[in-house]
Amino acid sequence: MSDRMKKKPVLVIPCSGIGKVHGLLSREATYLVTDEIAPEQTDTMCLALLVKGDSEALEAVKSQACITIDGCPKACAEKNVKIAGGTPSKIVQVTDILKEHRGAKPGSANELTDEGWAIAREIATKAARDAVRLCQEREGIE
Amino acid sequence: MSEDIAKAGIISCSGEEISEGTIARLATRQVLETLRPGKAVTICLPLFLAGEEGERNFAKTHPTIAIDGCGKQCARWGTEKHSGPISGALVVSEILGTKAAGCSRSSRYTSQVDKEAVAAVAEKIAAEVDRVLAEAGHVKVS
Repeated sequence: MSDRMKKKPVLVIPCSGIGKVHGLLSREATYLVTDEIAPEQTDTMCLALLVKGDSEALEAVKSQACITIDGCPKACAEKNVKIAGGTPSKIVQVTDILKEHRGAKPGSANELTDEGWAIAREIATKAARDAVRLCQEREGIE
Repeated sequence: MSEDIAKAGIISCSGEEISEGTIARLATRQVLETLRPGKAVTICLPLFLAGEEGERNFAKTHPTIAIDGCGKQCARWGTEKHSGPISGALVVSEILGTKAAGCSRSSRYTSQVDKEAVAAVAEKIAAEVDRVLAEAGHVKVS
């Protein structure tokens, strides 16, 4: 097991789609998980680097648990992780979360409103809970 | 005066691991919305890499600029692999040098340093848009 796996066993990978607020929600939710809520258990990875075929990135998605956070149903993060040989342990769709917040104004592709930050935190809290559970499952296996 | 204006495509790496990826993303948006509105569109890199034909066809038929956060140049790599040679390429770490060190990945912590970094990169992208459109013969001003 690599040092990276020991320290950060779960990868949280957003799509970061640039066109709409959905992509920004996925990106900021990821940073909330990795930098604030579950920094000991999680890390993120450049999706483009993974798709490029970087050997370390490929090895990481194959050997570590992955949570993908996609902005839209095109599910680019999920698809690209699978293409790279990984199997997402948890798949999050921002559009599904937004259905629970009909009428919400989360912001734009550039910045989130207070409402957007609250939604990002909701996404992050759920993802962090899943990350902790995945860590516990892995510790149980070992 | 006669004008025949087509649009340039801008593909940002949006690398999640580094602040330069966030700067690439935000600078691209700033060019689209403020500096060169109507002259450029962005292409969603994860969608492009996941095999979206519409996005790949655009990059084949329009002058396209890759904006990468670091020297790994994942956006450039992906675009050239799927759509052929690009018209321009910029690397944020080369533009900013050590100035990027004080920048944030998350927009939660946007400071004056972040704003200045984004503005500096956006100006470079805007100039590149002007150059590639002029070279492609899409902008004729007499």
